[in-house]
Amino acid sequence: MAILISALFLLLALMGAPLFAVIAASALWGFFQQDVNLSVVAIEIYRLTEMPVLTAIPLFTFAGYLLGESKAPQRLVRITDALLGWMPGGLAIVALIACALFTAFTGASGVTIVALGALLYPALKNAGYSTNFNLGLITTSGSLGLLFAPSLPLILYGVVAQQLALDIPVSIDDLFLAGIIPGTLMLVALSIYSALQKRDPAALQNKTKFDAKEAIAAIKDTAWEAPLPFIVLGGIYGGFIAVSEAAAITAFYVLLVSVVIRREISLRKLPIVMRDSMKLVGAIMVILAVSLASTNYMIDAEIPTSIFDFISEHIDSQLTFLFLLFLFLLVLGMMLDIFSAIVIMVPIILPIAIQFGIHPVHLGILFLANMQLGYFTPPVGMNLFIASFRFQRPVTELYRATIPFFFILLTTVLLITYVPWLSLVFID
Amino acid sequence: MPKIQIQRIQHWLHLAEDFLLAAVLFVMLSLAVIDIAMRLITGGSLIWIPPVLQVLVLWLGLLGALLASRSQEHIAIDVISRFVGPLGKKVCGISGSLFAAIVCSVVAFYAVEFIQQSIEYDDIAFAQVPAWPLQLIIPFTFSLMALRFFLHTLGFIRIKGYQPNPALKGENV
Repeated sequence: MAILISALFLLLALMGAPLFAVIAASALWGFFQQDVNLSVVAIEIYRLTEMPVLTAIPLFTFAGYLLGESKAPQRLVRITDALLGWMPGGLAIVALIACALFTAFTGASGVTIVALGALLYPALKNAGYSTNFNLGLITTSGSLGLLFAPSLPLILYGVVAQQLALDIPVSIDDLFLAGIIPGTLMLVALSIYSALQKRDPAALQNKTKFDAKEAIAAIKDTAWEAPLPFIVLGGIYGGFIAVSEAAAITAFYVLLVSVVIRREISLRKLPIVMRDSMKLVGAIMVILAVSLASTNYMIDAEIPTSIFDFISEHIDSQLTFLFLLFLFLLVLGMMLDIFSAIVIMVPIILPIAIQFGIHPVHLGILFLANMQLGYFTPPVGMNLFIASFRFQRPVTELYRATIPFFFILLTTVLLITYVPWLSLVFID
Repeated sequence: MPKIQIQRIQHWLHLAEDFLLAAVLFVMLSLAVIDIAMRLITGGSLIWIPPVLQVLVLWLGLLGALLASRSQEHIAIDVISRFVGPLGKKVCGISGSLFAAIVCSVVAFYAVEFIQQSIEYDDIAFAQVPAWPLQLIIPFTFSLMALRFFLHTLGFIRIKGYQPNPALKGENV
């Protein structure tokens, strides 16, 4: 019976039933089996009010959507181009850096491809890159940067890990520090590949030199946005402000600049931006809420312990465990979006990984790095569909275009998995 | 009830939800900024702000989820329905929406029981504020979500090519 019910829930999930409903149903079913009053699910949902850091999620998302609707993406491309465009492979590197920065601030929700892709795609074409390379680069860049503060997946991982009351505390500040080197590694690997790309010789004629005048103009143009990364990153990394405070400052500042000072978002448009951003927030939060209940049930039923017992019968080395985890997460990343994957899988995987001697912060980074691949792993990576929709290309063409990028990032993910030092060097 | 009247009720309900959502977001942002400003300027803070912010997160999250259910924009795996024909899409749409409607109804029902217990035991949220009015958002949003998913189920049954999610409408796969 239990297997039949689980299979039914899985089938419904694969058929496109909202994930939160599937998770809620399995929690309800589990508690029902244990004769627990089902109002426990509502109690668990109300526990969302016990996590102060959660205010960061709606506020950063709102700020990200405001940035996406304003002309900030254009200015971001302009300034990175003015400062870095003269390098070999300059524009491609500009694209990578701009996308990484934008993704970190907008929470890896596919906004990057929509907001920046439209600007970068024609620019890259003008610079003589092949269509295949352009499509691959932009689709890949849509999830680049999610290891950098203040990305939502990092925050969410911290929130979920904190719920598990581990012996080794997982602070979100530590996660922000841990992501720096692995994130940079991915950025550098893709930049090298881009710099080595062959370009159309005709387009090389209009090669750009560094233009001091344009650089100064571009800096002036971004005068309002430029302080933002410094305030937020400096504040968080310097330990002056908490994550939720950084989110409040960012949202308030971006609202002020885009609506009052620059007036790029009209008051008429503002409610639409609010609604669009809160739809995403709601979709994430409701999954988080019901998964608090399912996690509680799983821990009660000692599911992670029995999985660990099963695994440790067959595997005893950490290296083998890490490799199996890597394969598992790769498949998981294809099926689940990053937010659901975190709230559903981390409560199961984390206790097991700790038994194998893996640091929870390292696990967080390798988990997210793996999930980043999942964004553009065929057949169902979300960014493949967003790019296909945005650039009006069949999704199969994007499968092909992203292959080299996939293997480059796959290599970096393996490095991140097997070299914990990359993630833990800044952690005490 | 005549159709026009139902549509009118729906229209006002949507407006009310939108307004509530915008108000909660606005209050939340303002309080968060006031909290930081107070700390910087006076060194002290209003002790009721952090717990209020935490309740507002729940409200915002659930109201956002309600909004997402209006246009069926919840996170879903959606592997099968991407690769099947119109009939398969219809079957997926009906079963997914009906399932979500049932689950939301069950959660809403037990959330009412949760609140009854909360009233009975005089649960306090913070300071002297009782918890139950703050908890009302759970049955409120889940019952409206159940309603929305029932309407989507009817939509999938009765309307050809029904697709409430605008992002999936124009997909050329």
